[in-house]
Amino acid sequence: MKRKLASAIVIAGVMVSVAACGGNDGDGSKDAGPDSWKGQTLTVWTMDGSAPPQWSKDVQAAFEKKTGAKLKFEIQKWDGIQQKITTALSEDNPPDVLEVGNTQTPAYAATGGLADLGDLKQSIGADWTASVSESSVYDGKQYAAPWYFANRVVVYNKRIWDQAGIKTTPKTRDEFLKDLDTIGKKTDAEPIYLPGQNWYFLDGLIVGQGGDLVRKQGDKYVSNLADPKVAAAMEIYKKYAAYSKAPKDKDEATPQQATVFAKGKTGAFIGMGWEAATAVQADKSIEKDLGYFTIPGATADKPEGVFLGGSNLAVAQNSKKQSLAKEFLKIALSDQYEGELAKLSGVIPNKESLESNLKGNAAAEAAAPGASVGGTTPLIPEWAAVENTPNPIKSYMTAVLNGKSPAAAAKDVEGEINQRLAQQN
Amino acid sequence: MKRSLFGRIWPNATAAVLFVGFVFPVYWMFATAFKPTGDIIAENPVWFPTHLTFDHFDKAVHADHFWTLVGNSVTVTLCSVLLSLVVALLASFALARMRFKGRRGFVVTFMLAQMAPWEVMIIAIYMIVRDGDMLNSLVPLTVFYAMMVLPLTVLTLRGYIAAVPKELEESAMVDGCTRFQAFRKVIFPLLAPGLMATSLFGFITAWNEFPLVLILNKDIEKQTLPLWLSQFQTAFGDDWGATMAASSLFALPILILFIFLQRKAVSGLTDGAVKG
Amino acid sequence: MSVQTEGTDTAGGPAVRKGRVPAPPRGADRASRSPAGRPAAAPYLLLLPALAATLVLLGWPLVKNGMLSFQNLNPRQLIQHLTEWNGFHNYQQVLTGPDFRKVVERSVFLTAANVVLIMVIGTLIGLLLARLGKKTRLTLLVGLVLAWAMPYIAATTVYQWLFAQRFGVVNWVLDKLGWHSMADYNWMGGQFSTFSVIVLLIVWQSVPFVAINLYAATTTIPKELYEAAALDGAGAWRSFTSVTLPFLRPFLYSTTFLEVIWVFKAFPQVFAMNEGGPDRLTETLPIYAYVEGVGNQHFGVGAAISFLTILVLLVITSYYLRMVLKQEEDEL
Repeated sequence: MKRKLASAIVIAGVMVSVAACGGNDGDGSKDAGPDSWKGQTLTVWTMDGSAPPQWSKDVQAAFEKKTGAKLKFEIQKWDGIQQKITTALSEDNPPDVLEVGNTQTPAYAATGGLADLGDLKQSIGADWTASVSESSVYDGKQYAAPWYFANRVVVYNKRIWDQAGIKTTPKTRDEFLKDLDTIGKKTDAEPIYLPGQNWYFLDGLIVGQGGDLVRKQGDKYVSNLADPKVAAAMEIYKKYAAYSKAPKDKDEATPQQATVFAKGKTGAFIGMGWEAATAVQADKSIEKDLGYFTIPGATADKPEGVFLGGSNLAVAQNSKKQSLAKEFLKIALSDQYEGELAKLSGVIPNKESLESNLKGNAAAEAAAPGASVGGTTPLIPEWAAVENTPNPIKSYMTAVLNGKSPAAAAKDVEGEINQRLAQQN
Repeated sequence: MKRSLFGRIWPNATAAVLFVGFVFPVYWMFATAFKPTGDIIAENPVWFPTHLTFDHFDKAVHADHFWTLVGNSVTVTLCSVLLSLVVALLASFALARMRFKGRRGFVVTFMLAQMAPWEVMIIAIYMIVRDGDMLNSLVPLTVFYAMMVLPLTVLTLRGYIAAVPKELEESAMVDGCTRFQAFRKVIFPLLAPGLMATSLFGFITAWNEFPLVLILNKDIEKQTLPLWLSQFQTAFGDDWGATMAASSLFALPILILFIFLQRKAVSGLTDGAVKG
Repeated sequence: MSVQTEGTDTAGGPAVRKGRVPAPPRGADRASRSPAGRPAAAPYLLLLPALAATLVLLGWPLVKNGMLSFQNLNPRQLIQHLTEWNGFHNYQQVLTGPDFRKVVERSVFLTAANVVLIMVIGTLIGLLLARLGKKTRLTLLVGLVLAWAMPYIAATTVYQWLFAQRFGVVNWVLDKLGWHSMADYNWMGGQFSTFSVIVLLIVWQSVPFVAINLYAATTTIPKELYEAAALDGAGAWRSFTSVTLPFLRPFLYSTTFLEVIWVFKAFPQVFAMNEGGPDRLTETLPIYAYVEGVGNQHFGVGAAISFLTILVLLVITSYYLRMVLKQEEDEL
């Protein structure tokens, strides 16, 4: 999906620089140096939809040329991915390199299944953006390398906004809500499609309020869901949701919000830029009406907080090809290929200096301002368990939207959250 | 007069209603698979797809390694069905025709084995297979799938064998057949419905299995079709068209097999299953 | 006691293989005493492969599972191959937790409701099949077979789709039938409505098996029995209760037993429908074990729950198992 959008926007096959990619072979590899690489096969797990085929092809060619080893990308489906990664890390022949979600990284780092990439950070990671590199550090050690990031924007239907007589995109939250109100009154469209459990949107709002989902109690983390700042974020969510007919107990994936949007009867939705491609795929005629803007914040000078989702690349501790795996990371994360990825997918790269690759990509340009004020879920190993299905925070959201007070709804699920946070590792 | 007319009409009317009730979900699956996405997410349901499209099927079939997975699924399913049939046939003959110490215990063992909750034992199985260095192989899948259906197969076939009048077998032996020949020539042909019923059950079980193959075989070359089926539910939601197309393709072999065999087969899964 | 119901063509009218009369005497042992009798080891040799398979492929995982249930086993231990015994801690955690009792009650209730519906509807349809004309019967049989043959995963997905809140067909139909409050009804929003959909799905999937088998069974009832009943002046109802029902009783018992096991263990249907939601209110025992064990990667706790699941299932089926044990005893 991403690919289609990217190829629509991007001039194909532009290689920007021939930047030197890792001129320092073989550092830190005592056991299996470059001499042993030839004839080996390195297995890399990427998630479905992460790496554009063009990028994979280019990286593979560069890698095989440089090392003489073979590279095998294996695309992983999302269904059951956690069990798959956990069990794979316990095996003797795990995938050598794997993509791990940034919020999941601390949990995997704590299991001892990921290799320490401290030397890699020293050689190529000096100018990784601090906020995106943070998630791969656990206990002071670098367990993964930041790969790419993305945050949500408002995708809107220009035709419907025109019909409602709205000329400019909103700069503040109040303007945005007023626009939605106007659309509701002047057109027969649904102003916004926002299901009750778009939980990463809520997380962004919480970031915007300066709230935190956990707090420390003694040496343990406990739920902070009852915090007034979280409640304030949820109230904002509720205001938006009031303009939507979407189900209150579903997330944005069932049904795919982009396919609903594609019907042309929805003013806007909050999603990843590349979801627009899904909409176009469902109905071609939506393409000319597509527009994007940054989710506006309380004031015009600061956009709304967003959840900064993303992925890191990690090396399995049990992999017997550590030096080769690191060589792969050096190539894949080099300015050349990291830049290409940003360009092809419209995702935020791991260095600020590479953000120029986003020029001309409307969705990415709308996303960029948000990224600067973005945040994540709590970066502690215990957090991953909280988001496991059934995610108690989603239950909280549905309860509030159905009329419960945020305080009471938080009380209902905090027990569950605390239990999950307290799980021994 | 009126009453008898009513008496003739109501069974047929009920049958018609039931037919629609049972078939509609199946129909809806196929119909959705052929509709363009715009007709699938529609305010007013499109009852009969008018703009037929093969896009969803195209997408489903062109998923990575589709044919490899088909091959694996077919291999694993057939092998496990065959394996369980052979093993079960031996055991069920002993249980149906012979008298020996502990027979009752064996019967109860198989009845208890039917209750095994496989889905929740997968981590234990995984650790055994992992430590035995058998991951990414079709062999563990085959034997575990065979085991999943073995108890029911044993008990069902036992009922069928017990139902063959002993006299037939004995007269064959009087005619000079050995015990084995008597079994092959007399009992075996009469077992056909039972064999078909149990192999259908085995086929469905092995064909559908998902949690075990998910963690045992991470190498895509060694995976089976249920994993392919689940991939159309992407991170950004269900692609209903592709999911339904894939489901249709996935269901088709079983539907065909059923229609093909049902005249002989459906008459009896339970028949002997737990008979006394 | 026992009645064989096989050997009939489901679609081909009553009792094609007339030659096979039900219920030969049960002394299942004459053969082994016959002149051609085998040494006493024969039955054990024949049973050996099945027993070995059961021991290795089921017994071993069960024992392993039992051992895991006394361990603290999370991703860290799994990945580093650590064994940390923690005694009864997992069981204690499950049994003293607030959820377990509710989940057990829910599982039992759901199983009971489903099995009753399946058996009643299945039996009625089975009897209806026997009354239909040839063509109608064949049509209905095909419909039943189609529903029966649908793979679980596919069937569950279709049901989600039928009952979807916004573009689902069911809500649309209810709305058009004048029930406008159902136009946007959210079936997955409440415990009862979610269970209703799950029950409908399971019943839809399971009834064909019962109906078709029962129909097959009725075709083997010797006509003479009805004639005799008619001579005694029995009406339709009497001949049903005095001939049909007793004849079908063993079949009904064994089918009920199988359905209890199948429904109790039903996993993909319940899990995929709404992942145990809303608010974990539709988690049955297998789902609970899976969510706690595999989903939350708390494998030791999951193992403990699955062990308790087996115990509960044993208790539920104990009545039938005792009956079978007794029956086997009579035979020997």
